[in-house]
Amino acid sequence: MALLETRNLSKSFGGLQAIDNVSLSVDENSVHGLIGPNGSGKSTFFNLLTGVYQPDIGSHISFNKIDITNKPAHYIASQGLARTFQLLRLYGELSVLENVLVGYHPHTKYGPLAPLIMGAEVRRQDRLVKEEMMDLLEFIGLAEHAEIPAAELSGGQRRLLALGRAIAMRPKMLLLDEPGAGLSPVNVDNLMATILTLKERYNLTIVVVEHILKVVMATCDTISVLDHGQKISEGSPKFVKNDPAVVEAYLGREMADEDIKAAMNA
Amino acid sequence: MIVLSKLADLFEDLAKRHRLLPWLIAYVLLLPLPFVLAGLFNEYLIDLVNRICLFILLAVGLNIVKGFCGQVTVGHIGLYAIGAVTSAVLSLEPGGFGGALGFGWPVWLSIPTAVLVTAFAGLIIGLPSVRLQGAYLALATLGLGESVRIFIAVTPALGSSTGLMMIPAPSVGSFTLDSFTSYYYIVMTAALLGIYFSFSILRSATGRAFQAIREDTTAAAVNGINVIQYKLLAFVFSAVYAGLAGALFAHMQPGYLHHNNFTVIEMVTLLLMVVLGGIGNVWGGVIGAIVVAIAYDQTKDLVFYFMDRPIVIQPLVFGLSMVLLVMFMPRGIGGWIEDFQRNRRFIRRSEERLSGSTRNT
Repeated sequence: MALLETRNLSKSFGGLQAIDNVSLSVDENSVHGLIGPNGSGKSTFFNLLTGVYQPDIGSHISFNKIDITNKPAHYIASQGLARTFQLLRLYGELSVLENVLVGYHPHTKYGPLAPLIMGAEVRRQDRLVKEEMMDLLEFIGLAEHAEIPAAELSGGQRRLLALGRAIAMRPKMLLLDEPGAGLSPVNVDNLMATILTLKERYNLTIVVVEHILKVVMATCDTISVLDHGQKISEGSPKFVKNDPAVVEAYLGREMADEDIKAAMNA
Repeated sequence: MIVLSKLADLFEDLAKRHRLLPWLIAYVLLLPLPFVLAGLFNEYLIDLVNRICLFILLAVGLNIVKGFCGQVTVGHIGLYAIGAVTSAVLSLEPGGFGGALGFGWPVWLSIPTAVLVTAFAGLIIGLPSVRLQGAYLALATLGLGESVRIFIAVTPALGSSTGLMMIPAPSVGSFTLDSFTSYYYIVMTAALLGIYFSFSILRSATGRAFQAIREDTTAAAVNGINVIQYKLLAFVFSAVYAGLAGALFAHMQPGYLHHNNFTVIEMVTLLLMVVLGGIGNVWGGVIGAIVVAIAYDQTKDLVFYFMDRPIVIQPLVFGLSMVLLVMFMPRGIGGWIEDFQRNRRFIRRSEERLSGSTRNT
């Protein structure tokens, strides 16, 4: 069953057609890969899904059978669609624990004015939530750094925290924007293993944008390929790998068949 | 530093017994202050302390919108003016001096009404924040704040150039709170409650939402925070503080308000308090308010003669210290406090780890 569906999704910035009529559906409990050369519109696609950008007229996005086209970002988040950012966008001055607590925000049981009038109840709720979030930090291996500011974490730890903050939202679907960017190959493998464990543990559907094709081929059930804002191919990793349109988009027409095979298998 | 460390230890130990204990002790310790000041120095200092308490309210309120939520507002003094003038006009007797409006309400009713009116005004001053950021937001709020002052200055019903006079002091039964000492208990209680509630906000999901907006607005929205709602809420919270400070200022002796109390210079003074205190740090803001209010009071009459012409140097001193602060101490006193707390926590954790490992071996 499709959890996320886009129909005729388009977005133009002035004269540039960043996303061009993309229709795509993501099945529940699957890992869906989104690949494409630099500037092909992958990040824009995520920004449209999560309400950071508003799509052009005629576009349609539905999530969990709810129409989320043109809905504000916080509403989409509260429906259970979480994401990470390519540049992480952590709350640098807040502690690691506070970062995941902000992620939990859509599930806060008290209103914004409650701290002024029912302090005891607010503190009780916060204590419970903090315990839950410490469990999460324990699971992703950041518990001992809970009190330090996020800005002081190492690069790899920051990537984990970005993931933890999204998981704290208890989402149904998680959009990962280049989770492995800047990590060494070994660390990327570890990160993907963590992501797959999290998927099982929290019953997630995952859409992942990634440049390291080896990782995408190994973990995804379905892959969609974007080029110049258009969906040029879609299917199983095996199908996409051998689709001439994909090979052309990535490597250009001139490269010899042998070279292409070698590059794709590297 | 050692004194500060001991003080922090004491505060934490007390808070462990009961959360409100340190606050109650602070309150009890502050109770005899006017008598100590009057005995050792003079009555004037009590008046200064009262004004410091109002500045603390203003600075702590400004810290919520600017420090927690990261919205640069320069219209805070306009909110202070709205609180002051509203409460004054509501409580004045009808047909007062110089064509000023008057409704003759009891003071205990006019103050909360003024706070509500100011909260609503805060919502309006906050509206530009939905679309503007940084320096543009500062300009928009500056315009709104200053237009409040000019409106007061040209409207006879609100005092215009002569100001509002004979604003009544609050009274309890037949006892009128018109002395420095009696008024001290009102403003001190208000300031302490203001600090307490500021912490309540900071340490809740509401405070975390404010800080998330400050750190990264896009990420905050994607994390499910209704950015517009929370930004406006921060403005309303800070307006409540400003409105209360303004209303309490109006009814403080000598019960006189003039639009010169609400100029851009006052706003700069207020910003200086928050910047010196460290943006976003509640105690820093309180210390900043105390230090700057005393400095303001001491340099008020400082006149420098150049070729026999008097030059008031206070604005120069304040402007210059603002520039120096931003350049050399951008995190203010609060930055020191935070570093100090972090080091203490680090030392304590290391000690625990060390003692733990010796026990294991």
